[in-house]
Amino acid sequence: MKKMKRTPFVGRRKLLLALAFQLFAVVLFAQVRISGRITSKGTGVPATVLVRNTTFGTGADENGNYVLSAPLKPGSYTLVFSAVGFKSFDANVTIGSASTYTVNADLAADALNLDEVVVTGTSQGTTRRQLGSFIGTVRAEDLTQGAPNNVLQALQGKTPGAQITQNSGDPAGGMSVRLRGINTISSSSEPLYIIDGVIISNATNRVTNTSGNYDGNNFVGNIGQNRAVDINPNDIERIEVLPGAAAAAIYGSRANAGVIQIFTKRGSSGAPVVTFSTSVQVNQLRKKLLVNQAPTKFGGSPDVQTQDILTPALTNTTPVTRYDYQDYIFQSGIGTDNNVSITGGRDKTKYYASASYFGNEGIVKNTDFKRFGFRLNLDQELSSKLKFNIGLNYVNSFGNEKPDGQSFFSPTNAVTIIGNFHNITERDALGNLKAVGERGRVNPVSIIEDFKQSQQTSRIISNLGLKYSLMKNLSIDYTLGFDNYAQNGTTFIPPFTYNVSDGFFGGGPTLDPTRNGYASTATNNFFQVNSDINATYTANITSDLGSTTQLGYSYQYERNRYMLLQGRGLAPFVETVNGASTIIPGVDDRGEQSIAGAFLQQNFKFRNQLFITGAVRLDGSSVFGKNQRSQVYTKASASYVISGGDFWKSSSVAGWWDLAKVRVAYGESGNLTGIGAYERFNTYTSSSYIGRTGLNSRTTLANADVKPERQQELEFGADLSFFRNRLGLTANVYVKKVKDLLLNRVIAPTTGFNSKLDNFGELENRGFELLLTAVPVTNKDFTWDVTAIFNRNRNKALRIGQALTLFSTNAGAPVAILEGQPIGVFYGTFFATDGSGNQIKNTSGIPTIERGVQNGPLAFTPQRDQNGLPLATGTVLRRIIGDPNPDYTATLTNEFTYKKLGLRFQLDAVQGVDVFNADFRTRQGVGNGVVAEQEHRGQLPRGYISGIYAIEEWRIDDGSFVKLREIALTYRVGKWKVFNDLNFSLSGRNLISWDNYKGYDPEVNAAGQSTILRGIDFGSVPIPRTFRLGLVAKF
Amino acid sequence: MKLNKIRSITYAVGLAAIVSTQGCIKDYVNPNAATEEQVFSSPRGLTGATIGLQRVYTAGRGSSLFNMVVANGLVTRELILLNAGNIPELELVTGGGAVTGANSMLTGLWSTSNKIIADADKIIGSAQTLADKNYASGLIAYSSIFKALAIGNLSMYWEKVPASTGNNVTFIDRKDGFRRAITTIDNALAVVNANAVSAAFTTNVPAGVDIVNTLHALKARYSLYTDQYAQALVSANIVDLTKRSTLNFDALNINPIFESATATNNVVQPVDSTLGLPAGLEPSLSDQRVPFYTSINTTIAPRFRIRGFAGTSTSNWPIYLQGEITLIKAEAFARQNDLVNALIELNKVVTKTPAQDPFGVGAGLLPLVGLTQPQILDQIYRHRSIELFMSGLKLEDMRRFNRPVSERRRSFFPYPFVERDNNTNTPPDPAF
Repeated sequence: MKKMKRTPFVGRRKLLLALAFQLFAVVLFAQVRISGRITSKGTGVPATVLVRNTTFGTGADENGNYVLSAPLKPGSYTLVFSAVGFKSFDANVTIGSASTYTVNADLAADALNLDEVVVTGTSQGTTRRQLGSFIGTVRAEDLTQGAPNNVLQALQGKTPGAQITQNSGDPAGGMSVRLRGINTISSSSEPLYIIDGVIISNATNRVTNTSGNYDGNNFVGNIGQNRAVDINPNDIERIEVLPGAAAAAIYGSRANAGVIQIFTKRGSSGAPVVTFSTSVQVNQLRKKLLVNQAPTKFGGSPDVQTQDILTPALTNTTPVTRYDYQDYIFQSGIGTDNNVSITGGRDKTKYYASASYFGNEGIVKNTDFKRFGFRLNLDQELSSKLKFNIGLNYVNSFGNEKPDGQSFFSPTNAVTIIGNFHNITERDALGNLKAVGERGRVNPVSIIEDFKQSQQTSRIISNLGLKYSLMKNLSIDYTLGFDNYAQNGTTFIPPFTYNVSDGFFGGGPTLDPTRNGYASTATNNFFQVNSDINATYTANITSDLGSTTQLGYSYQYERNRYMLLQGRGLAPFVETVNGASTIIPGVDDRGEQSIAGAFLQQNFKFRNQLFITGAVRLDGSSVFGKNQRSQVYTKASASYVISGGDFWKSSSVAGWWDLAKVRVAYGESGNLTGIGAYERFNTYTSSSYIGRTGLNSRTTLANADVKPERQQELEFGADLSFFRNRLGLTANVYVKKVKDLLLNRVIAPTTGFNSKLDNFGELENRGFELLLTAVPVTNKDFTWDVTAIFNRNRNKALRIGQALTLFSTNAGAPVAILEGQPIGVFYGTFFATDGSGNQIKNTSGIPTIERGVQNGPLAFTPQRDQNGLPLATGTVLRRIIGDPNPDYTATLTNEFTYKKLGLRFQLDAVQGVDVFNADFRTRQGVGNGVVAEQEHRGQLPRGYISGIYAIEEWRIDDGSFVKLREIALTYRVGKWKVFNDLNFSLSGRNLISWDNYKGYDPEVNAAGQSTILRGIDFGSVPIPRTFRLGLVAKF
Repeated sequence: MKLNKIRSITYAVGLAAIVSTQGCIKDYVNPNAATEEQVFSSPRGLTGATIGLQRVYTAGRGSSLFNMVVANGLVTRELILLNAGNIPELELVTGGGAVTGANSMLTGLWSTSNKIIADADKIIGSAQTLADKNYASGLIAYSSIFKALAIGNLSMYWEKVPASTGNNVTFIDRKDGFRRAITTIDNALAVVNANAVSAAFTTNVPAGVDIVNTLHALKARYSLYTDQYAQALVSANIVDLTKRSTLNFDALNINPIFESATATNNVVQPVDSTLGLPAGLEPSLSDQRVPFYTSINTTIAPRFRIRGFAGTSTSNWPIYLQGEITLIKAEAFARQNDLVNALIELNKVVTKTPAQDPFGVGAGLLPLVGLTQPQILDQIYRHRSIELFMSGLKLEDMRRFNRPVSERRRSFFPYPFVERDNNTNTPPDPAF
C-alpha cells in the first residue's frame, strides 16, 4: 500500500489504473513460468490450475498441457489442480531464482466429485468437500448424449431433488422444473435461472393462443414455450442445481424454488480447437390410441347428429364408416442440430465462440421449431490484478405452431371432440371442406392445413465481469448481466367455409362475415438487468483455521411490455389483423419492478475437515408493501469430514472407506417476485364496452401491505465413498416450510370478490434424496458406471384457514387446495362402491355416483336406499380422487465403455401419480373411444357412458410410468487423419414407456408450466420418441 | 491488527450497502389500471365503474344474464340441453339432487350479483359527494338499476339472500331481498326526482337504458313478487309503454346467449313450440309469439332454435317488456279480486299484435272472456310464460302461481360451495 502512494501514476486518469497495476507487478516481481501436464491414468485432463491463496490460475488444453505465467515472489506455493470428476490434487512448488518450473499432476477419479469446484454464488467458488448443503452438478458430456432438444430436457433425471417434466410434445414444448416440490402457490414455482452470473427470464409468455376464446376465459395455467428453450445445451460446460438451503442467502431474495446455475464453455490456452457436431433426428408418435371401430352409430346421419352416445334415448342405429384421424394429424418429424465452436487463447486472452442451428419438426403436421444461436465468451487479463470477461449470446428462434391444448381446436383435441365417422378430408364441388357434424366444431383439416400460428424470439443475453485483486487476500468482483428479448407471435384462422361456432372463431351457420376467422399479433418485450458486486476476503487465522468473508450487493431491475392486437371477421387473403372487420379489444400491459439486497457471509474452515458458514441477507422488492422492504434472511451450515481426521486415517476402515462426511444446513429464502408488479393494489381495469369505457374491479381483493413468502429449510446430509471411490452415496433429508404463504384464496362472493391475495398459512415439503454412484467394473478396456437417483417429496398446505379451495378449470379438472393435503389434488365426485370396493351399479348395470351426507371436505357418510343404491336425495359426495404429485421419482443410469465403444441408458420413473385425463372421457362422450365402441356394440348397456359421464373420478388415470428416457450408443474413433477427435453416436429419447395410462403419455400437462394445475391431459401434443444419429469432430 | 482493520472497513461498507438497498427500490406507478381511490373520486371514474356494472351483468358466458336465462330455462323446461358435456347445464336439466353447490353457473350468478351489489354501493356512496347533482343523479340511478336487478335475481332463485355485502354476511328471506331491491329503487327515484339526470351523464353511458321507466318497471316487478299489489299497480301505471329500455350489444360486445348458445347449437335451444308449458297452457298454434321467440331448422336437429332477443350477435336485451308491465297490472287486479280490470289488462296482451309492441312481441289472439279468478291467474301465468319466454322470470312465476312441483326440476337453488365454505352464516340447502 505504501509503495503505491509513491508511484507517479496515482492521480492520473483512472483508465490508466489497470495498466498501472500491471506495470507494478512487473517492477516488483519477475514473471515466472510454470508448465506441465495433467493426466489421469495416462490420459490428458483439461483441468484448471490455481496458485493457492492467489488469484493466479489457468486451464490446461485438451491434452492436459498447461502454461501458467504469474508474477510470483520467491517462496513456497501450492498449485491446486482440479477438474470435474476428479479429486483435486495439490502440488508444492518453490519459486526461486529460476524463471521456469515444471509441475506435472496425476489426478484420481472421484465418484462423488468431492473436490470439484462449485460456484454457489461465491466469487471464488468452493469445493464440494466444504459444502454444508447439497448442490447437484451436471457436466457437459452428460447433457447432450440423450438427444435433448433443449437444456431442460437435457437435465431430466440427471440431478437429485429435481422433477423435470415436459408438459407438451410440441417441438418447442414447455418444460417444468420442481426442485423439492412445489414451493409457492401464487406464482411460478420454477427455479431461478442464472447463466454466467446473469439472471435470465424463464417466463412463459402467451403471444400465441392469445384470445380468451381459446379457453373460455377460464383458468388455464401457463401454456406455451418457456424461455429456457433459447438455451443451447451444446454451449454448456456444466450446470449446478441448488435444490434447497444452499440457495438461501446468496440468492435469498428469489430462491424459494431453488436455483439452476448454468456455466457456459470458456476458452483455454493453447492452439485453437475447432469442434464441429452435427446430427439428424426423427420424431415419431410413440403410441397410437385405439379408436372406435363399431360399424354403427346411434341416431341418424353423422351430418345432422354427430353426438349420439350421451343421448341414451337414441336407440336406433345408422351404419357408418369409421376413421382413424390420428393418421391424418400426426407425422414423422425430421430434425437436425448443428454446432461449430472454436476455443483457444494465448497468454492473457482466452475465447470461446460458437454458432449453432437447431431445426426440428413436430409430430403434428406443419409444426416445427428452429433456433439459431451465437455465443462469444472472452476472458482477458488486464493486469495481474484485474481480469475481465464478457459473454454475448444471441438467439433467434422461430416456431410454426398449432393451437395449444386447453382448447377444442388444438390438433389433438379437434380429433378428440368429434365422432370418428366424418370423412374430414372430403370437399364439396367448390373444394371447400365440410362441417364435421352439426355442432359447429372445427374440422381437423382446417387446423392442420389452414391455421397459421407462429412465434419468434430474438434474444440477447450478455454479461460483463470484472475481478480485481485488491491485495493478496482481498478481491472484489463485479457482474453486470442483461437479458433482453422480443417475442412475437401471430395467429391466423382463415374464415371457415362451413358452420363453426362463434366461440371457435367461426361465423356460425350463416358464416357471419363479421365473426368468421381470426387474426392476432402479440409482442412481449422483456428487459432485465442485474448488477452484483461482491468482496471476498480470505485469511488463515492460524495454520489450521481459515476464514473467508464475503460481502455482496445486488440490484435487479425488470421491465416488461406486452401488446396484443386481434380481430375477427376476416377479409379474404389478408392474414393480418388489418383484415378484421371486428376488432377485438387488445391488450397493452406494462410492468416494472426492482429488487435490491445485500448479504454478508462468513465461512470458517478447520483443517480442511470442519466447515462452518453463516450468512445474513437483507432484501426488498418493489412489488410488495412499502413496510415489507427490509426482509432479513439468514443461513447457517456446517459440514464435518469425519474421514479427514487423523484417527480415521490410522483406523482399520480407512483401507476401504474413503470418505465419510456429514453436513447440516439451515437457510431462509424468499420469493421477491412472488406476485405481479402491481398486484398488491386494488385496481379497476378498463375495457371498451358498447362504445364507452367501463372500469371493472378485479375479482381478486388485494392487500397493499402484502409481504413476500419466507421459506425455512433444514437439511441434513451425508456423503460417503468406499473402495477407492468406486462406490459413492449421497443422502439428503430436508424439511422446508414456506411461511406467510401468498395465496389467492377463495373468499365468499358476498364480499364482492371471489378471492383474496394475501399471506395465508404455510406450505410444507418434506423429503429425502439418495444418489448412488458406482463403478462396478473398471479395467483397461471395460468400464461400467452406474448412477441411481431416488427422490421422495411430500407436500402439504397448512393453516391456510380454509378447508377447501376449488379451482374451476377449462379442462373441467377439479383442482383443489385442501388443508393438510398436497397442492393441486383433484377433488371431486366419485363412484359409489360397496364394502369390498366394487362399484355399485344400478338396475341397468351402470355404475353410480356416490351420494349421502358431506360432513366436511374430507369427511362424508354415504347413504343407500332400500335397493342398496346411493340414496337419490342424498348430496353428491366429493373427496380427493387423485394427486398429481408423485410418491417418488427415480432414475437409473448405466454406462458401459468397451474400448472405443460406449453404451449409456437412462431409465426415469415417476410413480404414484394421477393424471386428470379429460380427453379420455371426451373420446367416449363423442363416440370415438373404445368404451364408446363397447356401448355401440352392445357390450355395455345403452346409457352407460351418459350415466357415468358426470362422475369426475372416471377421468382420473394412472400416471405412473417408467421411461427409457435416454439411450446412446457411441463410438469414439479418437485421433484419425485430420481429426484430433472423432465421435459417432446413435441415440434415442423417450423410446419406451411402461405405464397403464389410457391416453398417449402420462407425462403431460395441458396447463403448461402452471404451478397449481398439474397432470391435466386436455388436447396437448404427446411427447414424441426421438432417434438421433450424430457426429462430433474436433480439429 | 490488519485483519481487524479490514474487518471494520468491510462491515462499514456492508452497512452502507444495506442502507442504500432500500433507497434503490422505487414505487412504480401502475400504468395499466386505475386505483380504487382514483375511480371513486371523479365523475369519469364513477361513470366507468357504472358501465362496469353493466358489463358484469351482460358480458359473456360468465355474465349474470347468461347464467340466469339458461339456468332458469333449464329448470323450468323452457330449454333443452344439447350436449351433456356441459356439466353445469347437465346438472340443472337433471334437476333435484344433481344440482350442487359446485355448479359453476350458479356460482357465477351468485358472484356477479354480489360483485354488482358491492360496486354499486361504492358508486352510490361516492356519487352523493359530487358537486354536479344532476350528473350524480344519473350515476346513482343507473347503478341502482343493476343493484336492484342483482338483488332481485338472487331473490328469485335462492330461498335466503345475503343481507348485505362484506365479511361473513347474514342472510335474509328472499322476500326481504325483493324489498331491499325496492328500497334501492326508491332511493334512486328520490334522487332523480330531486335532480333530473343530466344529458352529460346519459351520453357517457351506453345507449339503450331508459333510466326512469326502468326504475318504475322494476319496482312494479318486485312489488308484485312481495304481494304489494297496490304499489305494483301504481308503479306499473307510471311506466311509459311506448318506450324501450334495453341492454345493448354491438359487434365487439355481443349478445352472450347468442354467443354461447344460438351460435354454437351446442348448449341449449328452446324445447319446442310448447315453450315448456304443460298441455292446456301451451301456446295456441296461432300465437305469433312462438315464431318471435323460436325459429325452425328443418335439416339439422333440434328443430326449434333460439330467436327472440338472442337471435343475432347484436340482439339487444330488454330489461323489461311492455307485456310484463301489462301482465303485472292484470295480476295485481286479479289478486285483489278486481276481475274486470284484470281481464282488460290480460286481454291487452292476448290481443296485442307484433306491430303494436315496441319490440314486436305480440300474440295477436282473440280476447278471452268469462274467466273466474283461478282461471284468470292461470291465463296470466300462461301468457307470462309465453310473453316473457327466456327472460329468467319463470321459476319465480311457477312458485307464485303454485304450479305443480313436477313441472319444474328444482324450486330453489343450493347455495354455492364457495359461499358455504367461507361464510358460516350460509343457510342450509333446500331439499328441492
